Amino acid sequence: MKVAVTSVAIAIMLAIAVSLPALAQQNSTITITMTGLNEISISLDKTQWPLGTIASNTDYETIPQIQWCTLTVQGTCNVNTFVVGDDAKWVSDPNTYKWTLSSDGTNGEHIYGLWFRISGDTTRGPLGDGYVPITKTQGEFWPYSAGSSLAPGDTKQFGLRLLSPTYFFSSRQMQTQITVSAVAA
Amino acid sequence: MVGHIKLAGLIPALLVIILPSLTLAQDVNFGVSPAEVRISDLPPGNATDFELIIHNKDEIAHNFTVTTFPPPEQERREGRAEFPDDSWISFSSPGIEIAADSQANVMVTVAIPQGQKWAGQDWEIWLGVACESPDLLGVELYVRCLVSTAAGKFNIGLFIGSAVGVVLLGCGVYYYFRRKAKSR
Repeated sequence: MKVAVTSVAIAIMLAIAVSLPALAQQNSTITITMTGLNEISISLDKTQWPLGTIASNTDYETIPQIQWCTLTVQGTCNVNTFVVGDDAKWVSDPNTYKWTLSSDGTNGEHIYGLWFRISGDTTRGPLGDGYVPITKTQGEFWPYSAGSSLAPGDTKQFGLRLLSPTYFFSSRQMQTQITVSAVAA
Repeated sequence: MVGHIKLAGLIPALLVIILPSLTLAQDVNFGVSPAEVRISDLPPGNATDFELIIHNKDEIAHNFTVTTFPPPEQERREGRAEFPDDSWISFSSPGIEIAADSQANVMVTVAIPQGQKWAGQDWEIWLGVACESPDLLGVELYVRCLVSTAAGKFNIGLFIGSAVGVVLLGCGVYYYFRRKAKSR
């Protein structure tokens, strides 16, 4: 009896002794690489466009048209840039009234269009005039997919165009936001 | 009558006020480092963390938010798949106020749940840092977060140990019952 119990105990101890180092090996080394402590940074020299009172179904452009705002690439890495827009909401009660941002730059009842054009760009956009619609889907700002990301020190001037809705409720202050974003190229 | 109603609708439409706040125009200027983080050999069931440094280069204090963003396929690094679940990434503080010309750190934790299906994967997710502002134009900076999990390995030591244990245990039990039967 004693021999049997001893055998079982030894067997279990042997199994544990062999298994433990193997179990311990589950903790492998995790490597975290911060790519050269690069900093990503862009700046805009203008963030507001106070339009005041506007009429329906009318185009409004920044002044100057395409050199209104300057984007500067700072930091230490090349970047790809994007732009995305949003619905314009009634400042007093954003949940009850809005203008929907059009998906192609056109307008409609309570639907408005937003466009941007980068200085020197005369061919992009659906009309081939350099104006590109800003939609609720993130799109290219500077056309990096052609292989030209922006480098530190690069600057790009651009302007905006707003096409007001064909019809909207009057006397309501509306507010929207356009986000220019960047990621390491 | 219909024409009269249409005209009545158009007149108030001309009186609408649009767009941003009445504060003075400002620029927006901040930076985030690192621009790219690469995590390798993270075993499923484990977590790791790193710090993002947000540098407010403006002359006034700003509130910054940190969120995750799933990049579209064409924007991801080659060979990288979509990160399966953004709840696996957490921030020490999803919102932080940073004084003028100052910087602050945000700790980012990446925790992969247990499961063989998460082993040997290469994912990409972006961490977006934005400056809160009511202005028309805003800036958001994305940090590329590339996560590779450790490949699942066949644990030969564990297998041999278990096999030896089972065999010896079986022999012991067999020997015990045999002895017991003989003694009767």
